Amino acid sequence: MAANSQPAVMIVDDEEMVITSVRAFLRLETDYHIFGFSNPEDAAKFLETNPVDVVVSDYLMPRMNGLQLLTKAKEYQPESARVLLTGHADKQSAIQAINDVGLYQYIEKPWDNQQLLLVIQSAIERTTLLRSLREKIIALDAAHSNLKEIQAKLLRAFL
Amino acid sequence: MSEQATTTPLERDKRQLSELYRMAAVGRLTAKIVHEINTPIGSIRSNNEVLGRMLEKLSQMVAEAVQNNTAPPAKAIDIIDTLKSLSAVDKIACDRISAVVRGLKTFARSNEGVLRKTDVNELLRDTLKLAGCEYRRRIEVVEDYGDVGEVECFPQLMNQVFLNLLVNAGQAIEGEGTVTVLTRQEDGWAHIAITDSGKGIAPENRSRIFSPGFTTKPIGEGTGLGLTITREIVVDTHQGVIEFDSEPGRGTTFHVRIPLVHHKRQTA
Repeated sequence: MAANSQPAVMIVDDEEMVITSVRAFLRLETDYHIFGFSNPEDAAKFLETNPVDVVVSDYLMPRMNGLQLLTKAKEYQPESARVLLTGHADKQSAIQAINDVGLYQYIEKPWDNQQLLLVIQSAIERTTLLRSLREKIIALDAAHSNLKEIQAKLLRAFL
Repeated sequence: MSEQATTTPLERDKRQLSELYRMAAVGRLTAKIVHEINTPIGSIRSNNEVLGRMLEKLSQMVAEAVQNNTAPPAKAIDIIDTLKSLSAVDKIACDRISAVVRGLKTFARSNEGVLRKTDVNELLRDTLKLAGCEYRRRIEVVEDYGDVGEVECFPQLMNQVFLNLLVNAGQAIEGEGTVTVLTRQEDGWAHIAITDSGKGIAPENRSRIFSPGFTTKPIGEGTGLGLTITREIVVDTHQGVIEFDSEPGRGTTFHVRIPLVHHKRQTA
Protein backbone atom coordinates (compact mmCIF):
# COMPACT_ATOMS: atom_id res chain seq x y z
CA MET A 1 0.00 0.00 0.00
CA ALA A 2 1.51 3.32 -1.03
CA ALA A 3 1.35 6.20 1.44
CA ASN A 4 -2.12 7.80 1.65
CA SER A 5 -3.65 5.21 -0.65
CA GLN A 6 -6.25 2.55 0.03
CA PRO A 7 -5.26 -1.08 0.58
CA ALA A 8 -5.07 -3.22 -2.56
CA VAL A 9 -6.66 -6.67 -2.59
CA MET A 10 -6.21 -9.19 -5.40
CA ILE A 11 -8.87 -11.86 -6.01
CA VAL A 12 -7.92 -14.71 -8.34
CA ASP A 13 -10.46 -17.36 -9.34
CA ASP A 14 -11.13 -18.97 -12.70
CA GLU A 15 -14.83 -18.64 -11.84
CA GLU A 16 -15.92 -15.11 -12.71
CA MET A 17 -18.90 -15.55 -10.37
CA VAL A 18 -16.59 -15.67 -7.33
CA ILE A 19 -14.77 -12.50 -8.38
CA THR A 20 -18.09 -10.68 -8.96
CA SER A 21 -19.49 -11.76 -5.58
CA VAL A 22 -16.39 -10.98 -3.52
CA ARG A 23 -15.88 -7.67 -5.32
CA ALA A 24 -19.49 -6.61 -4.69
CA PHE A 25 -19.20 -7.49 -1.02
CA LEU A 26 -15.86 -5.73 -0.51
CA ARG A 27 -17.13 -2.63 -2.33
CA LEU A 28 -20.11 -2.55 -0.02
CA GLU A 29 -18.02 -2.92 3.12
CA THR A 30 -14.71 -1.23 2.31
CA ASP A 31 -12.98 1.29 0.10
CA TYR A 32 -10.19 -1.11 -0.93
CA HIS A 33 -8.81 -1.23 -4.44
CA ILE A 34 -9.90 -4.60 -5.78
CA PHE A 35 -8.11 -6.35 -8.62
CA GLY A 36 -9.91 -9.41 -9.95
CA PHE A 37 -8.28 -11.96 -12.26
CA SER A 38 -9.82 -15.09 -13.75
CA ASN A 39 -6.50 -16.06 -15.34
CA PRO A 40 -3.76 -16.82 -12.75
CA GLU A 41 -1.00 -16.17 -15.30
CA ASP A 42 -2.26 -12.60 -15.81
CA ALA A 43 -2.44 -12.23 -12.02
CA ALA A 44 1.22 -13.35 -11.66
CA LYS A 45 2.27 -10.84 -14.34
CA PHE A 46 0.38 -8.06 -12.52
CA LEU A 47 2.15 -8.93 -9.26
CA GLU A 48 5.57 -8.44 -10.85
CA THR A 49 5.10 -4.67 -10.97
CA ASN A 50 2.05 -3.74 -8.89
CA PRO A 51 2.14 -3.92 -5.11
CA VAL A 52 -0.88 -5.44 -3.38
CA ASP A 53 -1.56 -6.03 0.30
CA VAL A 54 -3.37 -9.37 0.05
CA VAL A 55 -3.66 -12.06 -2.62
CA VAL A 56 -6.78 -14.24 -2.26
CA SER A 57 -6.55 -17.17 -4.65
CA ASP A 58 -8.55 -20.24 -5.62
CA TYR A 59 -6.63 -23.54 -5.66
CA LEU A 60 -7.81 -25.53 -8.69
CA MET A 61 -7.35 -23.41 -11.79
CA PRO A 62 -6.28 -24.26 -15.33
CA ARG A 63 -2.68 -23.58 -16.42
CA MET A 64 -1.48 -22.48 -12.97
CA ASN A 65 -2.88 -23.67 -9.64
CA GLY A 66 -3.29 -21.52 -6.55
CA LEU A 67 -0.10 -22.78 -4.90
CA GLN A 68 1.97 -21.96 -7.98
CA LEU A 69 0.45 -18.48 -8.11
CA LEU A 70 1.03 -17.85 -4.40
CA THR A 71 4.63 -19.04 -4.78
CA LYS A 72 5.08 -16.33 -7.43
CA ALA A 73 3.36 -13.81 -5.15
CA LYS A 74 5.79 -14.72 -2.36
CA GLU A 75 8.72 -14.29 -4.74
CA TYR A 76 7.60 -10.89 -6.10
CA GLN A 77 6.04 -9.45 -2.95
CA PRO A 78 7.20 -11.35 0.15
CA GLU A 79 5.41 -8.98 2.53
CA SER A 80 1.94 -9.25 1.02
CA ALA A 81 -0.33 -11.78 2.73
CA ARG A 82 -1.41 -14.94 0.88
CA VAL A 83 -4.85 -16.47 1.35
CA LEU A 84 -6.23 -19.62 -0.29
CA LEU A 85 -10.01 -19.61 -0.89
CA THR A 86 -10.88 -23.05 -2.14
CA GLY A 87 -13.60 -25.65 -2.55
CA HIS A 88 -10.90 -28.29 -2.90
CA ALA A 89 -10.48 -28.90 0.81
CA ASP A 90 -7.94 -31.69 1.09
CA LYS A 91 -5.45 -31.83 3.91
CA GLN A 92 -2.46 -32.33 1.66
CA SER A 93 -2.93 -29.11 -0.33
CA ALA A 94 -3.56 -27.19 2.91
CA ILE A 95 -0.35 -28.48 4.51
CA GLN A 96 1.63 -27.81 1.33
CA ALA A 97 0.20 -24.30 1.15
CA ILE A 98 1.16 -23.52 4.74
CA ASN A 99 4.66 -24.98 4.43
CA ASP A 100 5.64 -23.92 0.93
CA VAL A 101 4.10 -20.50 0.45
CA GLY A 102 3.82 -19.27 4.04
CA LEU A 103 0.06 -19.11 3.77
CA TYR A 104 -1.68 -16.57 5.99
CA GLN A 105 -5.11 -18.24 5.95
CA TYR A 106 -6.90 -21.17 4.31
CA ILE A 107 -10.62 -20.55 3.73
CA GLU A 108 -13.03 -23.14 2.42
CA LYS A 109 -15.85 -22.53 -0.06
CA PRO A 110 -18.68 -21.83 0.46
CA TRP A 111 -17.15 -18.95 2.34
CA ASP A 112 -18.65 -16.71 4.99
CA ASN A 113 -18.44 -13.03 4.04
CA GLN A 114 -17.77 -11.79 7.57
CA GLN A 115 -15.00 -14.35 8.09
CA LEU A 116 -13.47 -13.45 4.73
CA LEU A 117 -13.58 -9.75 5.60
CA LEU A 118 -11.94 -10.33 9.00
CA VAL A 119 -9.17 -12.37 7.36
CA ILE A 120 -8.57 -9.70 4.69
CA GLN A 121 -8.58 -6.89 7.27
CA SER A 122 -6.10 -8.63 9.55
CA ALA A 123 -3.98 -9.64 6.54
CA ILE A 124 -3.77 -5.99 5.46
CA GLU A 125 -2.78 -5.00 9.00
CA ARG A 126 -0.04 -7.65 8.97
CA THR A 127 1.26 -6.50 5.57
CA THR A 128 1.27 -2.86 6.74
CA LEU A 129 3.19 -3.82 9.88
CA LEU A 130 5.72 -5.87 7.90
CA ARG A 131 6.27 -3.00 5.46
CA SER A 132 6.63 -0.51 8.28
CA LEU A 133 9.07 -2.87 10.01
CA ARG A 134 11.12 -3.13 6.80
CA GLU A 135 11.18 0.68 6.47
CA LYS A 136 12.27 1.01 10.09
CA ILE A 137 15.02 -1.58 9.60
CA ILE A 138 16.24 0.32 6.53
CA ALA A 139 16.13 3.60 8.48
CA LEU A 140 17.95 1.94 11.36
CA ASP A 141 20.59 0.57 8.98
CA ALA A 142 21.03 4.04 7.47
CA ALA A 143 21.29 5.61 10.94
CA HIS A 144 23.79 2.93 11.95
CA SER A 145 25.91 3.66 8.85
CA ASN A 146 25.73 7.39 9.57
CA LEU A 147 26.77 6.80 13.14
CA LYS A 148 29.73 4.72 11.98
CA GLU A 149 30.78 7.46 9.58
CA ILE A 150 30.51 10.10 12.31
CA GLN A 151 32.44 7.86 14.68
CA ALA A 152 35.16 7.43 12.04
CA LYS A 153 35.29 11.19 11.43
CA LEU A 154 35.53 11.86 15.16
CA LEU A 155 38.33 9.36 15.54
CA ARG A 156 40.17 10.94 12.61
CA ALA A 157 39.66 14.43 14.11
CA PHE A 158 41.03 13.46 17.52
CA LEU A 159 43.89 11.20 16.42
CA MET B 1 -42.66 -61.97 -19.75
CA SER B 2 -40.74 -59.22 -17.98
CA GLU B 3 -37.03 -58.66 -18.57
CA GLN B 4 -36.28 -59.46 -14.93
CA ALA B 5 -38.02 -62.84 -15.18
CA THR B 6 -35.73 -63.94 -18.03
CA THR B 7 -32.58 -62.95 -16.15
CA THR B 8 -30.35 -65.83 -14.98
CA PRO B 9 -28.77 -65.85 -11.48
CA LEU B 10 -25.35 -65.16 -13.05
CA GLU B 11 -26.75 -62.17 -14.92
CA ARG B 12 -28.35 -60.94 -11.68
CA ASP B 13 -25.03 -61.22 -9.83
CA LYS B 14 -23.30 -59.34 -12.63
CA ARG B 15 -25.95 -56.62 -12.48
CA GLN B 16 -25.48 -56.35 -8.71
CA LEU B 17 -21.72 -56.08 -9.09
CA SER B 18 -22.23 -53.54 -11.81
CA GLU B 19 -24.61 -51.56 -9.60
CA LEU B 20 -22.08 -51.55 -6.74
CA TYR B 21 -19.37 -50.39 -9.11
CA ARG B 22 -21.69 -47.71 -10.49
CA MET B 23 -22.29 -46.22 -7.04
CA ALA B 24 -18.57 -46.49 -6.22
CA ALA B 25 -17.78 -44.59 -9.43
CA VAL B 26 -20.02 -41.72 -8.30
CA GLY B 27 -18.51 -42.01 -4.81
CA ARG B 28 -15.04 -41.49 -6.21
CA LEU B 29 -16.26 -38.36 -7.94
CA THR B 30 -17.80 -37.00 -4.72
CA ALA B 31 -14.92 -34.69 -3.78
CA LYS B 32 -14.99 -33.14 -7.23
CA ILE B 33 -18.78 -32.87 -7.26
CA VAL B 34 -18.62 -31.11 -3.87
CA HIS B 35 -16.07 -28.68 -5.25
CA GLU B 36 -18.22 -28.06 -8.31
CA ILE B 37 -21.22 -27.22 -6.11
CA ASN B 38 -19.39 -25.31 -3.36
CA THR B 39 -18.25 -22.53 -5.66
CA PRO B 40 -21.74 -21.49 -6.89
CA ILE B 41 -23.14 -21.95 -3.36
CA GLY B 42 -20.43 -19.63 -2.05
CA SER B 43 -21.41 -17.00 -4.59
CA ILE B 44 -25.14 -17.30 -3.94
CA ARG B 45 -24.60 -17.10 -0.19
CA SER B 46 -22.38 -14.04 -0.48
CA ASN B 47 -24.69 -12.37 -3.02
CA ASN B 48 -27.74 -12.97 -0.87
CA GLU B 49 -26.19 -11.00 1.99
CA VAL B 50 -25.04 -8.19 -0.30
CA LEU B 51 -28.39 -8.03 -2.14
CA GLY B 52 -30.30 -7.68 1.15
CA ARG B 53 -28.13 -4.83 2.37
CA MET B 54 -28.07 -3.05 -0.96
CA LEU B 55 -31.85 -3.23 -1.25
CA GLU B 56 -32.07 -1.66 2.20
CA LYS B 57 -29.78 1.19 1.08
CA LEU B 58 -31.75 1.62 -2.12
CA SER B 59 -35.05 1.77 -0.22
CA GLN B 60 -33.63 4.50 2.03
CA MET B 61 -32.43 6.52 -0.98
CA VAL B 62 -35.80 6.24 -2.72
CA ALA B 63 -37.69 7.14 0.49
CA GLU B 64 -35.48 10.23 1.01
CA ALA B 65 -35.91 11.28 -2.64
CA VAL B 66 -39.69 10.94 -2.35
CA GLN B 67 -39.73 12.86 0.93
CA ASN B 68 -37.59 15.70 -0.49
CA ASN B 69 -39.33 15.55 -3.86
CA THR B 70 -35.95 15.12 -5.62
CA ALA B 71 -34.51 12.60 -8.06
CA PRO B 72 -32.77 9.56 -6.50
CA PRO B 73 -28.97 10.08 -6.24
CA ALA B 74 -26.58 8.73 -8.90
CA LYS B 75 -25.35 6.21 -6.31
CA ALA B 76 -28.77 4.53 -6.59
CA ILE B 77 -28.04 3.71 -10.26
CA ASP B 78 -24.71 2.10 -9.23
CA ILE B 79 -26.55 -0.02 -6.70
CA ILE B 80 -29.13 -1.10 -9.28
CA ASP B 81 -26.34 -2.09 -11.70
CA THR B 82 -24.63 -4.16 -9.00
CA LEU B 83 -27.95 -5.78 -8.06
CA LYS B 84 -28.48 -6.74 -11.71
CA SER B 85 -25.01 -8.28 -12.04
CA LEU B 86 -25.38 -10.23 -8.78
CA SER B 87 -28.79 -11.48 -9.87
CA ALA B 88 -27.23 -12.67 -13.18
CA VAL B 89 -24.47 -14.44 -11.22
CA ASP B 90 -27.10 -16.16 -9.05
CA LYS B 91 -28.85 -17.47 -12.13
CA ILE B 92 -25.62 -18.91 -13.55
CA ALA B 93 -24.79 -20.39 -10.12
CA CYS B 94 -28.23 -22.02 -9.80
CA ASP B 95 -27.96 -23.44 -13.34
CA ARG B 96 -24.58 -24.94 -12.47
CA ILE B 97 -25.91 -26.61 -9.32
CA SER B 98 -29.03 -27.85 -11.17
CA ALA B 99 -26.91 -29.40 -13.93
CA VAL B 100 -24.80 -31.37 -11.44
CA VAL B 101 -27.86 -32.46 -9.46
CA ARG B 102 -29.55 -33.56 -12.69
CA GLY B 103 -26.50 -35.67 -13.54
CA LEU B 104 -26.67 -37.24 -10.07
CA LYS B 105 -30.41 -37.89 -10.37
CA THR B 106 -29.88 -39.79 -13.59
CA PHE B 107 -27.52 -42.04 -11.66
CA ALA B 108 -29.72 -42.38 -8.62
CA ARG B 109 -32.79 -43.71 -10.46
CA SER B 110 -33.32 -47.30 -9.41
CA ASN B 111 -34.81 -48.69 -12.61
CA GLU B 112 -31.61 -50.13 -14.00
CA GLY B 113 -33.29 -53.47 -14.62
CA VAL B 114 -35.75 -51.94 -17.05
CA LEU B 115 -35.11 -52.09 -20.74
CA ARG B 116 -36.53 -49.00 -22.38
CA LYS B 117 -36.25 -46.73 -25.36
CA THR B 118 -33.72 -44.07 -24.47
CA ASP B 119 -32.38 -40.89 -25.96
CA VAL B 120 -28.66 -41.72 -25.89
CA ASN B 121 -27.67 -38.11 -26.63
CA GLU B 122 -29.61 -36.94 -23.57
CA LEU B 123 -27.99 -39.67 -21.47
CA LEU B 124 -24.54 -38.55 -22.61
CA ARG B 125 -25.31 -34.89 -21.87
CA ASP B 126 -26.37 -35.77 -18.29
CA THR B 127 -23.32 -37.96 -17.73
CA LEU B 128 -21.05 -35.20 -19.02
CA LYS B 129 -22.36 -32.96 -16.22
CA LEU B 130 -20.83 -35.35 -13.70
CA ALA B 131 -17.70 -36.10 -15.69
CA GLY B 132 -17.30 -32.33 -16.05
CA CYS B 133 -16.57 -32.23 -12.31
CA GLU B 134 -13.52 -34.39 -13.02
CA TYR B 135 -12.52 -32.19 -15.97
CA ARG B 136 -12.79 -28.96 -13.97
CA ARG B 137 -12.37 -26.63 -16.94
CA ARG B 138 -8.90 -27.93 -17.80
CA ILE B 139 -10.52 -29.98 -20.53
CA GLU B 140 -12.54 -28.65 -23.43
CA VAL B 141 -15.51 -30.84 -24.31
CA VAL B 142 -16.61 -31.05 -27.93
CA GLU B 143 -20.10 -32.49 -28.35
CA ASP B 144 -21.07 -33.74 -31.80
CA TYR B 145 -24.47 -35.40 -31.53
CA GLY B 146 -26.00 -37.05 -34.56
CA ASP B 147 -29.63 -38.00 -35.08
CA VAL B 148 -29.42 -41.36 -33.33
CA GLY B 149 -33.10 -41.56 -32.39
CA GLU B 150 -34.21 -43.77 -29.52
CA VAL B 151 -32.14 -46.76 -28.55
CA GLU B 152 -33.59 -49.72 -26.68
CA CYS B 153 -31.20 -50.27 -23.79
CA PHE B 154 -30.74 -50.39 -20.03
CA PRO B 155 -30.19 -46.64 -19.50
CA GLN B 156 -28.58 -46.93 -16.07
CA LEU B 157 -26.05 -49.42 -17.37
CA MET B 158 -25.28 -47.36 -20.44
CA ASN B 159 -24.97 -44.35 -18.18
CA GLN B 160 -22.27 -46.23 -16.32
CA VAL B 161 -20.51 -47.11 -19.57
CA PHE B 162 -20.42 -43.44 -20.52
CA LEU B 163 -19.25 -42.30 -17.07
CA ASN B 164 -16.42 -44.86 -17.05
CA LEU B 165 -15.24 -43.87 -20.50
CA LEU B 166 -15.57 -40.13 -19.87
CA VAL B 167 -13.75 -40.24 -16.51
CA ASN B 168 -11.01 -42.41 -18.05
CA ALA B 169 -10.73 -39.93 -20.94
CA GLY B 170 -10.30 -37.05 -18.47
CA GLN B 171 -7.72 -38.94 -16.42
CA ALA B 172 -5.74 -39.82 -19.55
CA ILE B 173 -5.15 -36.11 -20.15
CA GLU B 174 -2.38 -34.56 -18.07
CA GLY B 175 -2.98 -30.81 -17.91
CA GLU B 176 -5.15 -29.36 -20.63
CA GLY B 177 -6.76 -31.18 -23.53
CA THR B 178 -9.92 -32.08 -25.37
CA VAL B 179 -12.56 -34.76 -25.02
CA THR B 180 -14.82 -35.27 -28.01
CA VAL B 181 -18.16 -37.04 -27.77
CA LEU B 182 -19.70 -38.15 -31.05
CA THR B 183 -22.91 -40.07 -31.76
CA ARG B 184 -24.19 -41.45 -35.05
CA GLN B 185 -26.79 -43.92 -36.28
CA GLU B 186 -25.28 -46.60 -38.54
CA ASP B 187 -27.46 -49.30 -40.16
CA GLY B 188 -29.58 -50.18 -37.16
CA TRP B 189 -26.80 -49.46 -34.64
CA ALA B 190 -26.04 -46.52 -32.38
CA HIS B 191 -22.38 -45.57 -32.56
CA ILE B 192 -20.93 -43.58 -29.64
CA ALA B 193 -17.30 -42.48 -29.87
CA ILE B 194 -15.42 -40.87 -26.97
CA THR B 195 -12.03 -39.43 -27.89
CA ASP B 196 -9.41 -37.92 -25.61
CA SER B 197 -6.24 -36.04 -26.50
CA GLY B 198 -4.39 -37.78 -23.67
CA LYS B 199 -1.35 -39.97 -23.28
CA GLY B 200 -2.75 -43.00 -25.15
CA ILE B 201 -2.58 -46.67 -24.22
CA ALA B 202 0.86 -48.28 -24.35
CA PRO B 203 1.01 -51.10 -26.95
CA GLU B 204 1.97 -53.69 -24.28
CA ASN B 205 -1.21 -52.88 -22.30
CA ARG B 206 -3.72 -52.98 -25.15
CA SER B 207 -4.58 -56.67 -24.88
CA ARG B 208 -5.15 -56.37 -21.13
CA ILE B 209 -7.27 -53.25 -20.64
CA PHE B 210 -10.56 -55.17 -20.46
CA SER B 211 -9.14 -57.81 -18.08
CA PRO B 212 -10.42 -57.72 -14.49
CA GLY B 213 -7.95 -56.17 -12.05
CA PHE B 214 -5.78 -54.53 -14.71
CA THR B 215 -5.14 -50.83 -14.08
CA THR B 216 -2.42 -48.30 -14.79
CA LYS B 217 -3.92 -45.79 -12.35
CA PRO B 218 -2.32 -45.09 -8.95
CA ILE B 219 -3.31 -47.25 -5.97
CA GLY B 220 -6.65 -46.08 -4.60
CA GLU B 221 -7.68 -44.43 -7.86
CA GLY B 222 -8.26 -47.40 -10.13
CA THR B 223 -10.03 -50.66 -9.28
CA GLY B 224 -9.20 -52.39 -12.52
CA LEU B 225 -12.90 -53.17 -12.94
CA GLY B 226 -14.13 -50.13 -14.87
CA LEU B 227 -13.41 -51.33 -18.40
CA THR B 228 -14.26 -54.95 -17.53
CA ILE B 229 -17.74 -53.91 -16.44
CA THR B 230 -18.01 -51.51 -19.36
CA ARG B 231 -17.24 -54.34 -21.78
CA GLU B 232 -19.73 -56.68 -20.08
CA ILE B 233 -22.51 -54.10 -20.26
CA VAL B 234 -21.86 -53.35 -23.92
CA VAL B 235 -21.08 -56.85 -25.19
CA ASP B 236 -22.94 -59.25 -22.87
CA THR B 237 -25.97 -57.18 -21.87
CA HIS B 238 -26.55 -55.24 -25.08
CA GLN B 239 -24.95 -57.55 -27.67
CA GLY B 240 -22.89 -54.60 -28.74
CA VAL B 241 -19.28 -53.99 -29.66
CA ILE B 242 -16.57 -51.99 -27.90
CA GLU B 243 -13.30 -51.19 -29.64
CA PHE B 244 -10.56 -48.58 -29.34
CA ASP B 245 -7.90 -46.83 -31.39
CA SER B 246 -4.96 -45.42 -29.51
CA GLU B 247 -1.72 -43.70 -30.29
CA PRO B 248 0.74 -43.02 -27.45
CA GLY B 249 1.09 -39.30 -26.90
CA ARG B 250 -1.83 -38.48 -29.23
CA GLY B 251 -4.87 -39.96 -27.48
CA THR B 252 -7.47 -42.69 -27.54
CA THR B 253 -10.93 -43.19 -29.04
CA PHE B 254 -13.35 -45.73 -27.61
CA HIS B 255 -16.08 -46.81 -30.03
CA VAL B 256 -19.23 -48.25 -28.52
CA ARG B 257 -21.83 -49.74 -30.85
CA ILE B 258 -25.16 -51.10 -29.65
CA PRO B 259 -28.15 -52.24 -31.69
CA LEU B 260 -31.06 -49.79 -31.79
CA VAL B 261 -33.40 -52.68 -30.92
CA HIS B 262 -32.29 -54.92 -28.08
CA HIS B 263 -31.47 -58.52 -29.06
CA LYS B 264 -34.18 -59.97 -26.80
CA ARG B 265 -36.78 -58.08 -28.81
CA GLN B 266 -35.10 -58.91 -32.13
CA THR B 267 -35.26 -62.65 -31.45
CA ALA B 268 -38.74 -62.60 -29.91
